[in-house]
Amino acid sequence: MSGHDSKYFSTTKKGEIPELKEELNSQYKDKRKDAVKKVIAAMTVGKDVSSLFTDVVNCMQTENLELKKLVYLYLINYAKSQPDLAILAVNTFVKDSQDPNPLIRALAVRTMGCIRVDKITEYLCDPLQRCLKDDDPYVRKTAAICVAKLYDINAELVEDRGFLEALKDLISDNNPMVVANAVAALAEIQDSSVRPIFEITSHTLSKLLTALNECTEWGQVFILDSLSRYKAADAREAENIVERVTPRLQHANCAVVLSAVKIILLQMELITSTDVVRNLCKKMAPPLVTLLSAEPEIQYVALRNINLIVQKRPTILAHEIKVFFCKYNDPIYVKMEKLEIMIKLASDRNIDQVLLEFKEYATEVDVDFVRKAVRAIGRCAIKLERAAERCISVLLELIKIKVNYVVQEAIIVIKDIFRRYPNTYESIIATLCESLDTLDEPEAKASMIWIIGEYAERIDNADELLESFLETFPEEPALVQLQLLTATVKLFLKKPTEGPQQMIQAVLNNATVETDNPDLRDRAYIYWRLLSTDPEAAKDVVLAEKPVISDDSNQLDSSLLDELLANISTLSSVYHKPPESFVSRVKAAPRADDEEFADTAETGYSESPSQGVDGASPSSSAGTSSNVPVKQPAAGSPPPAAMPDLLGDLMGMDNAIVPVDEPAAPSGPPLPVLLPSTTGQGLQISAQLTRRDGQIYYDISFENGTQGVLDGFMIQFNKNTFGLAAGEALQVTPLQPGQSTRTLLQMTPFQNISPGAPNSLLQVAVKNNQQPVWYFNDKIPLHVFFGEDGKMERAGFLEAWKSLPDDNEFTKEFPGSIISSIDATVERLAASNVFFIAKRKNANMDVLYLSAKMPRGIPFLIEVTASVGVPGVKCAVKTPNREMVPLFFEAMEALTK
Amino acid sequence: MISQFFVLSQRGDHIVFRDYRGEVPKGSAEIFFRKVKFWNDDEAEEAPPVFNVDGVNYIHVKVAGLFFVVTTMVNVSPSLLLELLQRIARVTKDYLGVLNEDSLRKNFILVYELLDEVIDFGYPQTTSTEVLKSYIFNEPIMVDAGRLPPLGPAAMFMQGTKRMPGTAVTKSVVATEPGGKKREEIFVDIIERISVTFSSSGYILTSEIDGTIQMKSYLTGNPEIRLALNEDLSIGRTGSSYDYRSSSGGGTVILDDCNFHESVHLDSFDIDRTLTLIPPDGEFPVMNYRMTQEFKPPFRVTALIEEAGPSRAEVLLKIRADFSANATANTITVQMPVPSYTMRASFELEAGAVGQTTDFKEGSRRLEWNLKKIVGGSEHTLRAKLTFSQESHGNITKEAGPVNMNFTIPMYNASKLQVRYLQIAKKSKAYNPYRWVRYVTQANSYVARL
Repeated sequence: MSGHDSKYFSTTKKGEIPELKEELNSQYKDKRKDAVKKVIAAMTVGKDVSSLFTDVVNCMQTENLELKKLVYLYLINYAKSQPDLAILAVNTFVKDSQDPNPLIRALAVRTMGCIRVDKITEYLCDPLQRCLKDDDPYVRKTAAICVAKLYDINAELVEDRGFLEALKDLISDNNPMVVANAVAALAEIQDSSVRPIFEITSHTLSKLLTALNECTEWGQVFILDSLSRYKAADAREAENIVERVTPRLQHANCAVVLSAVKIILLQMELITSTDVVRNLCKKMAPPLVTLLSAEPEIQYVALRNINLIVQKRPTILAHEIKVFFCKYNDPIYVKMEKLEIMIKLASDRNIDQVLLEFKEYATEVDVDFVRKAVRAIGRCAIKLERAAERCISVLLELIKIKVNYVVQEAIIVIKDIFRRYPNTYESIIATLCESLDTLDEPEAKASMIWIIGEYAERIDNADELLESFLETFPEEPALVQLQLLTATVKLFLKKPTEGPQQMIQAVLNNATVETDNPDLRDRAYIYWRLLSTDPEAAKDVVLAEKPVISDDSNQLDSSLLDELLANISTLSSVYHKPPESFVSRVKAAPRADDEEFADTAETGYSESPSQGVDGASPSSSAGTSSNVPVKQPAAGSPPPAAMPDLLGDLMGMDNAIVPVDEPAAPSGPPLPVLLPSTTGQGLQISAQLTRRDGQIYYDISFENGTQGVLDGFMIQFNKNTFGLAAGEALQVTPLQPGQSTRTLLQMTPFQNISPGAPNSLLQVAVKNNQQPVWYFNDKIPLHVFFGEDGKMERAGFLEAWKSLPDDNEFTKEFPGSIISSIDATVERLAASNVFFIAKRKNANMDVLYLSAKMPRGIPFLIEVTASVGVPGVKCAVKTPNREMVPLFFEAMEALTK
Repeated sequence: MISQFFVLSQRGDHIVFRDYRGEVPKGSAEIFFRKVKFWNDDEAEEAPPVFNVDGVNYIHVKVAGLFFVVTTMVNVSPSLLLELLQRIARVTKDYLGVLNEDSLRKNFILVYELLDEVIDFGYPQTTSTEVLKSYIFNEPIMVDAGRLPPLGPAAMFMQGTKRMPGTAVTKSVVATEPGGKKREEIFVDIIERISVTFSSSGYILTSEIDGTIQMKSYLTGNPEIRLALNEDLSIGRTGSSYDYRSSSGGGTVILDDCNFHESVHLDSFDIDRTLTLIPPDGEFPVMNYRMTQEFKPPFRVTALIEEAGPSRAEVLLKIRADFSANATANTITVQMPVPSYTMRASFELEAGAVGQTTDFKEGSRRLEWNLKKIVGGSEHTLRAKLTFSQESHGNITKEAGPVNMNFTIPMYNASKLQVRYLQIAKKSKAYNPYRWVRYVTQANSYVARL
């Protein structure tokens, strides 16, 4: 080997391609090798050398591995564009896959898998079959990955040729590298299939745990990540798993450590012994802290994960706050994350240390970091009541340095502190007012104005201060305008003197006539009307007591947090977003007769949101004070009764109360008769439960067949499985003889739940002033509980289907049902909140996948199989709540009738 | 798993590009580069190592001034990818001896061959130089480290942060020496990065040591090696986390936590603190450790800033080397931010100062003081007079500082962790390879507040 590879990049004046062609066909080996290198060099800089395909492939039959590898590299690149020519290489591939040299065998299988040409894959099956059982582990581990490659190209082929079984056999291989690759391949295949393919049983569990100790660091991550899907049967098994995984915490590879942490956290949920849990927390702390000694990139990932972990288990790192102090040379993205964690770990015990740090950060150079540090002080004040005073004195110290953006940031957080501790720290207002004229950011201005308005009675010159802002009213951003408006009204209500009176007129004029902003105009009109009709009511509204805000440092809600914790050590835990919000690549097992399924899959893609996830940006994930309800409540929380009057007044109506609690008489298909007039002495009652706009109603109609007027209708529901009860009084006008009326009665579920096995019986009692009490029975159709939020994304559906054990699956035939048109059925089901996800064809049957959701998050994963126009529908359902299944089938049968 | 792997230069040129799955739309490298270059419209702010653009996840590290990037479409472990990128960089360096744009370009075929063995269909296979040796057939073309063209601003990123500059071995572990036979030698480096924060009154607020025992073996036949550490070494803090009293007296070394390379056997570690291993070829960390036990900081830093008239101030910087005169620190830099309205600074070095330079960086408004070397036990001072464009707000100490210091001290380690001996299983009596055990301490975040 001589000279430099870079010489292959040099060009000659003569036509390059013909020259290369000549060299490729040279009789000398070395010359041919050099020529192939030149071809590859041209290829990597983007030149089209595909015309040399046949010449390059001719060099493939060689014993020289170096040359062979080069040719393979070329083939992978161009086979797609030259599929017909690629076939020429097949024979050599097949021959190579039987070469005595294991490296060549593996190389052949690996390369063939990378050539995504259908014709080639057909020839790949036999060599692959052999290589999966090869004597050499290097060949087997390469073959294992090749199965995943083939599945990606042609899943059917993989299943038909039994490669999945072969892959599962490799889990028991004696070489840990092979096991790791088999696990990786199976996990990937499972990810793109609806059916359970790779399920970890207690048997595979022990195999994987054994292989864990021996395989490479990368293999350990594959195995750990697969294990994280395993749900331990009980606390003992969970403890056992944790015990085997804990030594991984000592691994030098951070990915291994984080994947181990994930499993331990998941299994800890099952462990009941508090001693064991405490001990595990103690064991996890040092390795987690050690992650912060790694490269900054890894520190960032670790910090994003630790952020989640401390929200769930604050004790783990409660004593380690010092390690999260920012280092001088930390990249800004690391510093930002450390600040977040410091706030979360701040406690009465360490707050002095923490404040000292924040104060130091607030005088650093980076503006964004400084701002965040100032906000952090405010958040600590809101979080720790006993430390609030110390936090405020630090903020005041910072304000005195008079660095503009520090002052503004401090004022924004002080406003939040006032909202958290009303009537406590107002003595500092004077200091704040000194900085008034330096404010130039909308949020800071708005905050300051809010403070002035809120405490107008304690600020002697509040009117002057506000007036200084008013001059520029038309130019201010909407945020500031709204605050100015409200603050001026507050001022006027508190000090109804001449000055404020003039101000309020100017402001109202500005905010109604001179503006295009509807929010501002509406608010101004409401104030105007309030002030002109009833100033006392205005006081009640505008100066109403505000709800106290609370600490927001644990800002994720618990269900999202749990989902993210289950995804520790993945991108999801770095973005703090559930995986389906940024992963769009989900494939369902497409079989050959599945074309329609594949079609709908396309539309499925476009529906699933694949918007750019900017979660990595530290600032967007910061939360800062945006979760504090900054929105001014001035107009927001008037006493509910005043509202209709006010509206009526505004609309020019004479105190006409809009009858909000009496729904307009419904119309619709006739209702089933539940109390025939023969039984009801002339009164006929028909009724049915129905769902509209996310509410359950009892659609009920009364027909007066008696000779007299019926009035004073009342209704009562007996205890039932779903605790359905009337959510309001029954409103029925007196019924004249021969008259009928129909009404929607709002129902509230989960009120008076009858114990025992679920059933659909609904016992109803109706009385009126003229007749005895009537009792009748109705059936509760389960689908009235199906929520509008029941639509699942394909990914979520697959995930949920896989996560449920098989014995939660039930099947039932509805011989009387018939699907005459798929579209009509889908539409009808959707009207009842049973949502269509995908369909596929299986032989001459149509298979529909649907989802529905009950309150309290009980999902139904549904598979409906039927032939269009042929009676008989098969329905399969998977749900965590087995008890509901009979009711579910009743509902589905009714919906497919 | 991984969709693509690529290496970009500082200017965004493709140096290496490999697509493993063909699922990421074209132009990903350009999208990545633009995103990183203009993160938040602000070149000063660095992009985080993991981000998502239009459904494609980009994960990157910067090594030797180059961007090592992978893309993926699925929810994978980002720490796995970040580790892998670092490891690819290390393996490549093992093979090429030097890692830079030039060496990668000259050896592109070898690099592609490596990549095919390291990653298959997006799954990491092996990153052990030792294992890879049996599958790699191309030979590296050496780039002369001495004649390297300067990388400009990139040079500051040279080879990560864990390595010690200047002493890193720039020799391929696979290439045969031009002279014929390979020299039998093994390097064991104990590299410690120390972080100390001094309060304004000189107290130590936080202190930490991040250490690595790094090995690079050029021994043929991979003999077994025993590495003995301090006998009284203990791991895991006991009792309260900030209780140093019990530990500082006895002189024992107490590590908070440590982890080991997978080749290390710990059979006798609990008994006599020895590590046994068969070192694979290439550079690798035998052990990483972390220590917050109190230690004597090598430098005491004092900084004073005082107003001297309406728009003037005086700065006094003093460093004292608190280590024995046997050791000498080199390439020392002391930086101190000054108020933003500082216009000019004039410096006054101590009498007889040699190898010291000073500078006032107007852009970043800070004083910089560089010293070529500091001998243990000595003390150095610098005075500076600042002229302001306006009167100060009367709180000048808040607007200046903190002082940050950078240094390297060869043959010194703050933790007192030691390699007592390095034993190589002998093949014959004549076999006596070179053993290099070297200590070096570097500043990580060495800060004195005002």
